[in-house]
Amino acid sequence: MVTYSLLIRIIALTIASISLVGCMGLGSKAASMRVELEAGHVDNAYAIAEKEDSSEKEVLASLNKGMLRRMKGDYQGSNKIFEVAKNHIEELYGVSITEQAGALIVNDTLRSYVGDRYEQVLLHAYMAMNYIQLDDLDSARIEMKQADVKMMEWGEDPEDDPFVRYLSGIIYEALGEMDQAVISYRLAKKTYESTTEKQNIGVPALLKKDLLRSLASAGFNDELRILKKEFKMGKFNPKPVVKGYGELIVVLNSGLAPLREEVSIRAATSRDIVDFVKIAVPKYPQPKLSYSARLIASNRAVAKLEKVEDIDALARAALSKDLPVITARAIARAVVKHETQETAKERGGALAGFIATVANVATEQADTRSWISLPQNIQMARVRLPVGMNKIRIEIYNASGMLVDMINKQVLVKSGKSTFLTEHWLVPNMGMRAVAEKNRKL
Amino acid sequence: MFVYDFRKFMSVLLLLGMVIGLAACQPVITRQDPNTVTDLSGKWNDTDSRKVSQEMIQDVLSQRWLSKFTSRTGQMPTVIVGKVRNLSHEHINTRTFISDIRRALINSGEVSFVASSEERGEIRSERMDQDLHASEASRKAMGNEAGADFMLKGTINTIIDAIEGEQTRFYQVDLTLIDLANNRMVWAGQQKIKKSVERSGVRF
Repeated sequence: MVTYSLLIRIIALTIASISLVGCMGLGSKAASMRVELEAGHVDNAYAIAEKEDSSEKEVLASLNKGMLRRMKGDYQGSNKIFEVAKNHIEELYGVSITEQAGALIVNDTLRSYVGDRYEQVLLHAYMAMNYIQLDDLDSARIEMKQADVKMMEWGEDPEDDPFVRYLSGIIYEALGEMDQAVISYRLAKKTYESTTEKQNIGVPALLKKDLLRSLASAGFNDELRILKKEFKMGKFNPKPVVKGYGELIVVLNSGLAPLREEVSIRAATSRDIVDFVKIAVPKYPQPKLSYSARLIASNRAVAKLEKVEDIDALARAALSKDLPVITARAIARAVVKHETQETAKERGGALAGFIATVANVATEQADTRSWISLPQNIQMARVRLPVGMNKIRIEIYNASGMLVDMINKQVLVKSGKSTFLTEHWLVPNMGMRAVAEKNRKL
Repeated sequence: MFVYDFRKFMSVLLLLGMVIGLAACQPVITRQDPNTVTDLSGKWNDTDSRKVSQEMIQDVLSQRWLSKFTSRTGQMPTVIVGKVRNLSHEHINTRTFISDIRRALINSGEVSFVASSEERGEIRSERMDQDLHASEASRKAMGNEAGADFMLKGTINTIIDAIEGEQTRFYQVDLTLIDLANNRMVWAGQQKIKKSVERSGVRF
């Protein structure tokens, strides 16, 4: 009788933990949303994301909703849900004792998801880009200040995001605050240099020009001279925007961030075949090839887009930084779980031990959650175009230089002002023939 | 036996779930100011807005620009609300204290306001509509708008210092009244607020 009740308890525990796990991980909805994104079906992905988490309690679901709303052009709605995510992240500040305990007994997905640090600062960057699209530069400026406070809290360099610094500079410059822009551009340069190990981008040529231009305009002549030498750009002569021309800043969110996968091992704890523990940790598969882009205006190539943020690399760096802790926790969990198996076997016999093992194996899951609607990388171009309506085209090329897609847009360039275009491009979605045909017609 | 055990187990599980659900805790805020206030997150809130408007109102009504203007022109000054630029790190609603200040000034009976550039459009289109549809006697003619003598403008700035788990937030609100005739600033009001926000690194 004792054995029977123990058995029932173990079964109940199994069912309970499996159902608990089912609602916590990346989730089947998020996974199917990602499948739609990879197929280039933004509308379907959007519909799936909107159905999830109707009470707006989960950070991850809100982040995905926000990104998909912005892909669909709903910048206001995007910022509304991003704000929800931001507030939840703030509420979930600190380490939770109960969640940590849960992570030690069941698995890591019992911990609330607040996003990695790179995701948290990018949230501000995307909110700022939404405000830019809504023509509210003052609010975009506020977002960049919040990102700055966040990075300040984390301490020095390693956690700084160079693109966020760069974007701050661009926003300050668009607002006419050259003195602030200089500071942000300087910080961006410093951060690109200090994060080369993480992102391997180096100081983008675009930023070099922006920094030199802003130094010249703010009158920092000594620094200007030194940097011209350092950049080997001695001949660079910043020209003011000519009358009748305005600036277009293109930000292309290209591709999709990598997906975490689970890797698990089974360790035998005795010679008995049913006596083993499973240890599961997340990992990233091999990086996918990235795409390059060119900007065409009035039927001629005006700029090659330059990579300013490698989110793929940031995600990998974040995981490899956390992996020792994740692994230590998984091993500690295996010890706890093994203990329950032993107890069950001792008190309930071989069958109870077996059921406990099954339960433990079923609940052992790697935490594969991440903001999967982020792009693989962010590319940028700054060009000067004649004032008025301009037809522009962004052409996407694969690694072997083949044209795989294009985005056609109309932008209204204003005199002496910066116009922004923040686009998303996911995957090559046309056969080469269709692309060629489209090309011929234009 | 089975039913009893299972129920007991499920209720414990449910209780555990509820406890986890309730676990999100708030940061601890210490206010520098002796006034008793309700602070939740340390962000700009109603108390700050009220504090700014109260002190600004007192200041703007007690300064000499008002008496100078009335003695010079023999008329009540007319003010228009311009832009209050938010240069802080928070999305702050500036309309709350601006409308507090405006109300206090109007109710003092010594200053009158004209509609701001945002509000004007609607009123003008109503006048245009009256031109077509209202009776001759009640129709308001165009071109009779009162021009403002002064514009109320301002900025909100913040300085934040932070390390992991701790923040000092300093807000400064600057408001100025600018004479539209000659760009002279006739009044400058300033309000400073300082808070320290401490957040626990551990939650339940």
